[in-house]
Amino acid sequence: MLRVENLSFSYGKIQAVRDVSFEVKKGEIMAIIGSNGAGKSSLLKCIAGLLKPQTGQIYMEGEALEAVAYKTVEKGICLIPEGRWIFSNLTVEENLILGGYTSKAVSQGIERSYDMFPRLGERRGQRAGTLSGGEQQMLAIARGLMSNPKVLLLDEPSLGLAPLIVNDIMKIIQDTNKAGVSVLLVEQNARKALGIAHHACVLKQGTIVKEGRGAELASDESILAEYLGKDSKLLKAGAGK
Amino acid sequence: MFFQQVINGLSVGGIYALMAVGYSLIYSLLNFTNFAHSITVTIGAFATFYFLTELFENIYAGILFAIVVAGILAILIQILGYSVLLKKNAQRIYLLITGLGISTMCDNLVIISFTSRFRVYPVNFSTKAINVFGATFGTIDLIILAVSAVALILVQLFIKKSRAGLAIRGASFSLETASIMGINTQKLIMIVFLIAGALAGLAGALLGAKYTAYPALGTNMANKAFISSVVGGLGSITGAVIGALILGIGEVLISGYLSSAMRDIFSYTLLVIILFVKPSGLMGVDIGDRA
Repeated sequence: MLRVENLSFSYGKIQAVRDVSFEVKKGEIMAIIGSNGAGKSSLLKCIAGLLKPQTGQIYMEGEALEAVAYKTVEKGICLIPEGRWIFSNLTVEENLILGGYTSKAVSQGIERSYDMFPRLGERRGQRAGTLSGGEQQMLAIARGLMSNPKVLLLDEPSLGLAPLIVNDIMKIIQDTNKAGVSVLLVEQNARKALGIAHHACVLKQGTIVKEGRGAELASDESILAEYLGKDSKLLKAGAGK
Repeated sequence: MFFQQVINGLSVGGIYALMAVGYSLIYSLLNFTNFAHSITVTIGAFATFYFLTELFENIYAGILFAIVVAGILAILIQILGYSVLLKKNAQRIYLLITGLGISTMCDNLVIISFTSRFRVYPVNFSTKAINVFGATFGTIDLIILAVSAVALILVQLFIKKSRAGLAIRGASFSLETASIMGINTQKLIMIVFLIAGALAGLAGALLGAKYTAYPALGTNMANKAFISSVVGGLGSITGAVIGALILGIGEVLISGYLSSAMRDIFSYTLLVIILFVKPSGLMGVDIGDRA
């Protein structure tokens, strides 16, 4: 559905993404895991049209994408960026309305968001900047879904959230996927990501070094140890609980 | 007497506000001050003058003409001057320098094309004075006040109530985030320049009616508007209007009761004091909010 072919991107002399190719199939959750600085965010920003790759091409349902962010949204791809990027000067509801900027069914979308996250409904008139981190992440996801995307790109949705809330977020991602949205999930929290992914790859220094089914990679301790850097020990400790 | 001065001050402040809102809109969206703003004011005055002398002797039609011409000019400035730099995500200092360059160049082009003569509109608002409760007001001040108020309210409604206005408020928080909502930010920038230019054209037309049209009109007056928007808080539209009214009324009262030589001293002193006491301006948006 969303196919990336030989994509390379560099910030000046620093190459962030090197010749990356993969495909997100319709209806699946695909995870890209890798440590800090592996090029994950740059890769997502290239797909979303925020960065213009030097070489390579991105296809959505067979159609080549231009590196223009708003056109990418019109093609049914929606990025939920790292750190949420919510409009903290606007209210919760205004954030949702902007999320549905390209959609014709804004009021239905808002209702659906409040059904999904009743907490957002309670705070609809509140400035988004006053929400807690978990609520902001929920708002970011709800806002992303407002455009009725076919593919959802999620950049580190668990970043900076308490473990219980991370579980909630992962559940929401799974539910969204079951409702028919394909998901490309980029995570440092490899265990959580692999736990819900159908299919995954490991990114290291801008290149894909391993690909496989989510469960396969999750059971491969060497991958966790080798490719996820120092944090992998902590991850193991966390998984032992 | 005092009441008259206040009305006069409000009419001056209203014109400052028309220009100050343009500075604030562009600043809030793009984080730089558009120093080429002043030329759209000058052109507004000249467009009205030539419309009245060459085409049609109706001051209201002349003002409409000025709004259209200045709006188009502002868009041209954005396309020819800024858009290339914005696409490259250039540092804002380059945009400031470009703006200053455009302003200086256009001021001189205006002098070359129209000479530096002062021009009086062949037709103007009625100069009759109106008596209310013993105080006399110039009709022209009342009309300027009313026209400015209507224009400012329309812009405020557009920003607060319309879909595009919401997009502008979102984009002023982050252009990049707005773009991943599917908002065409290039188009949004055009809309903002169009509004800023149209308001500046209106200001220029009114200034030409209140005073005269001359090449340095825009630069002189836009300076005051810039001070207003800094005093009110750069990037805040309400702040720009409040700053402009404070400046307008203050200037008129100072020239009325002290001396007109003190007028500019007042404006610049106010600027310095604000920068010392509250650098973000009266209604300034706290950057910390953006995190």
